Amino acid sequence: MEGLIPESLNEALDALSKERFIPVAGGTDLMVRYKRWKNLTPALPYPPLFISQLKELKGIYRENGEIIIKSATELSEIEKSPLVPSILRKAVSQMASPGIRNMGTIGGNIQNASPAGDTLPPLYVLDARVVLLSKNERRCLYIYEFIKGPGKTERLDNEIIYEVRFKIPTHTHEFYRKVGTRKANALSKLSVAALAQLNEEVLEDFRISFGAVAPTPIRRMEIEERIRGKALSKLDDHLIDEIAHAYEKHINPITDQRSDKTYRKKVTLRLLKAFLYQIRSR
Amino acid sequence: MGNREFKVVGKSVKKIDALSLAIGEAKYTADINLPNMLHIAFLYSPYPHAEIVEIDTKEAEKTPGVVLVLTYKDVPNTLHTTAGQGYPEPSPYDTRILDKRVRYVGDRVAIIAAETKEIAEEAKKKIKVKYRELPYNIDPEKAKESERIPPEGAYHLLPTIYEPEKNIAAGITLSVGDVEKGFSESDKVFEDRFEIHYANHAALEPHAALAFYDERGRLNIVSTTQVPFHARRITSRVLGIPVKDIRVIKPRIGGGFGGKQEVFLEQVVGLVTYKTKRPSKVVLSRKEVFISTRTRHPMITWYKAGVKKDTKEIHALRLKALMNAGAYGPHALTVMANAGSKVLPLFNKIKHLQFEGFSVYTNLPVGGAYRGYGATQGYFGFNVMLDMIAEELGIDVLEFFKKGHIKKGETSPIFEKLGEGKEGVSQIIRSCALSECIEKGSKAIKWHEKRRKKIRKGDKVRGVGAAILMQGSGIPKIDMGAAYMKMNEDGSFNLHIGATDLGTGSDTILAQIAAEEIGTSIDKIIVYSSDTDFTPFDVGAYASSTTYISGGAVLKCARKIKEEILKVAANMLNVPQDALFIEDGTVYTKDRTQRVTFSDIALYSLYSKDQHQIQSVASNIGLESPPPFMAQFAEVEVDIKTGRIDVVKFVSAVDCGQPINPALVEGQVEGATVNGIGYALWEEYVFDKKGRMLNPSFWDYKVPSIMDIPEMEVIICKTYEPTGPHGAKSVAEIGINGPVPAISNAVYDAIGVRLKKSPFTPERVLNAIKEQGLKL
Ligand SMILES: Cc1cc2nc3c(=O)[nH]c(=O)nc-3n(C[C@H](O)[C@H](O)[C@H](O)COP(=O)(O)OP(=O)(O)OC[C@H]3O[C@@H](n4cnc5c(N)ncnc54)[C@H](O)[C@@H]3O)c2cc1C
Repeated sequence: MEGLIPESLNEALDALSKERFIPVAGGTDLMVRYKRWKNLTPALPYPPLFISQLKELKGIYRENGEIIIKSATELSEIEKSPLVPSILRKAVSQMASPGIRNMGTIGGNIQNASPAGDTLPPLYVLDARVVLLSKNERRCLYIYEFIKGPGKTERLDNEIIYEVRFKIPTHTHEFYRKVGTRKANALSKLSVAALAQLNEEVLEDFRISFGAVAPTPIRRMEIEERIRGKALSKLDDHLIDEIAHAYEKHINPITDQRSDKTYRKKVTLRLLKAFLYQIRSR
Repeated sequence: MGNREFKVVGKSVKKIDALSLAIGEAKYTADINLPNMLHIAFLYSPYPHAEIVEIDTKEAEKTPGVVLVLTYKDVPNTLHTTAGQGYPEPSPYDTRILDKRVRYVGDRVAIIAAETKEIAEEAKKKIKVKYRELPYNIDPEKAKESERIPPEGAYHLLPTIYEPEKNIAAGITLSVGDVEKGFSESDKVFEDRFEIHYANHAALEPHAALAFYDERGRLNIVSTTQVPFHARRITSRVLGIPVKDIRVIKPRIGGGFGGKQEVFLEQVVGLVTYKTKRPSKVVLSRKEVFISTRTRHPMITWYKAGVKKDTKEIHALRLKALMNAGAYGPHALTVMANAGSKVLPLFNKIKHLQFEGFSVYTNLPVGGAYRGYGATQGYFGFNVMLDMIAEELGIDVLEFFKKGHIKKGETSPIFEKLGEGKEGVSQIIRSCALSECIEKGSKAIKWHEKRRKKIRKGDKVRGVGAAILMQGSGIPKIDMGAAYMKMNEDGSFNLHIGATDLGTGSDTILAQIAAEEIGTSIDKIIVYSSDTDFTPFDVGAYASSTTYISGGAVLKCARKIKEEILKVAANMLNVPQDALFIEDGTVYTKDRTQRVTFSDIALYSLYSKDQHQIQSVASNIGLESPPPFMAQFAEVEVDIKTGRIDVVKFVSAVDCGQPINPALVEGQVEGATVNGIGYALWEEYVFDKKGRMLNPSFWDYKVPSIMDIPEMEVIICKTYEPTGPHGAKSVAEIGINGPVPAISNAVYDAIGVRLKKSPFTPERVLNAIKEQGLKL
């Protein structure tokens, strides 16, 4: 099987327009998914198209009130960059291990669309958009439109994820928790990412997303809507219970080798409430 | 004797194999490739219990590159045990290389040998097997009433309880005093149940073996073994090849921890090479190591303790143990016995004692030797019970430990009553610094500042807990090690030992023991070990025996060769032998007026007069098994929202007699501790209903990473063990026994919840909080 190491993004897009390739960024998901016996190359289903050397796909920028992260930017760059909001940096800093973070990219994590993909809950609450490029087209989708199921996304075979972008958040409160086993190289049992903005005792914005408790990260706009604009004084125990109850039916975790569904559900709801209590106590 | 000045012993000399390992020159089994070598793969059972009704290997055999396919029809059907123990093994003969019946998911169904590993792996998929599924059982508490698991004809060499028809692999009961009377005389009786789980040794080097014929037609086997001599004996028996025609060699090893005290690959490569007359090799994958090798035996223990209020002492204690042996019974008797014999003597003043242990067969992976060997299982409940009792009595558990533990000059009736497959050996403790260990360890963890303080930060609460432990040093009156030395003309010595260095550094410390005794430097000792043709016998590396047993043999051997050296020197200098002494490789007259170097002496003895080889040989058996002692302390932080436990600091204070090599002692203690922390928190076999392991990879089976290692402190409380070589006792196993109970006790100190079922995953912690009705 012949792979391709293009010298420019155009060359890559051109190649994709003619033939099916499998893009390889850091390879940290692919090498594991398609591994064979040791010392053998992985059994990729299509020829590899290496993209991590493409300058067009690297870097973190600020532009018109937006942060742009190019798709092949390594996780360790994101973790370090002062431009990146802390909620995403926190999540990235708890992913994998330093070695994997030096190789793994944000584009790879998004396209991998794992239920336990750790950049996803922060990107969901940031209302991030994914920009896709093919030879003749540019598409821009919200992350929650882009992710369709475990390993499934809206990406077409001829497209490259070009970048993710989101408005610089103006929140006053943030919350990120990942529950895993050990401290490195442990996939999430569950994770919670949330942002809130409090303005003169009014909860102007509230966004929360849960990872690893359903086939895709959960974000429920209609529930958030019920809290948005509420005076803090209204956020009593009763309302908090009601919100938790509203989320309950959307949180449908499974029991697997990493955790069990009762635990996942219980702790997710606890952390949701913990964030609401945190907001209430200013 | 206690404060002897040492020159080589007690120094952290470099490991003698360090450089060769670091630069990749030293070879592990998997590194060795021979021309024309075959590669072996195994087909494993997907069912927990089934009979092979039909097995069709034709397609597999036709695959280009496949040379040999073996099923139960093609292999010797000798019943044996894979436990690499002394003869007669205290483990049932219940295993065949391949059998018509498979007894757990991971049991072997067929052996495939091919030109490459890939071909062998591909070909095995073409073997068609028709199974008849049988009723299976994965619950040890239901074993006695379940379908028989061991084969017809399975037997035990020792006169011990063995009832295969009831799935009982071993049983022991013994009493001291009258425990029922003891309970009735007590003011308060405590009773609890503890459950400890399956785990894998997770040695970084997977199991591997290689066989070839040498030019004289002898079968040579290179393997990742802790027990080369047992491997030779068992392979010979199973294959019906005389011992004289087999040579077993142990190259460098990447960790054993008990997992390689098991003989299950040697007979396979031996058989393939025997049948094909070609070299053959097998290297297991990580998945195979998990599902098909050996594990820590899970155990349920029930402790019952009667306490007297006036003396604040335990008056009566009963320990019932139910061990899950898995589908076969290697170590089923002895690991279970050690849950009693390594635990109960620690509190030796208890008047009434009872131990009742059973090991049962289930359709789950096979247990075996694993660092700690039953003591780990027994000490969990023991130390948690002590913590509960001390709390009830209103005394600091450390005071309770200090008062209750066995001291120098004392004994316990258990030493004599409970041994390894037979009665034990009575002994008096000749060295013990456990109280000092408790004292120093508690300072290091800041016990008095932190205990009962429940220091809370947000959702996280801190607590400290402790555990005390003992192990043994070899199996007394059973384990034997031997050493041979000869002197070369440059004053260097070859030291040949059967002992097996598993990465532990035993080659190095045995050289230190020899150099110290002879009076020379360590670079003059050329160590060659673990080769059944060229080294004398040694039982191998297990039961914390190498330093004490093999080290004792080396010491005796060195002492003898020293005598020989002095004899020759006396002749050369024409003075009486007792007018001489040795210093730094030179023999001096006491007045220092005359001297001859070792090199002079060797040259003289080889070439000048009365020519002979200066040499010596010695064997050593342990007449006793002096226990090392340890106090371990954990500081934890518990997240009450998620139930996640973080170990923030861990202190181990150890009395291992005189440390031969302090850096290696620390390494052993730290390694065992981390091993124990991983076991306490995450490492576990997750099974589905049919006993299929769901997490057979390092991806899902989590051993601690460097990020998880807490601040660790190892404190060596030196003693001098008069029966040990240069005062040494063992140190390799003991450190794994404490983390489980110490962490459980620390969590109780933090949040008031008793964890009695390991591992302490966030899920279990939240369950325990709920079960114990706590509102946090
Ligand atoms: C030991 C280990 C630990 C891990 N721990 C975590 C963890 O804690 N949390 C977590 O979320 N993940 C974890 N991962 C998964 C992985 O590291 C991340 O998902 C990483 O972000 C993947 O990036 P990559 O560049 O290596 O992806 P690759 O393996 O290169 O690619 C992944 C997928 O994305 C596609 N792809 C990549 N880039 C693009 C692009 N620009 N356009 C279109 N398609 C693209 C590839 O074709 C492939 O299908 C871990 C992996 C390992 C090996």
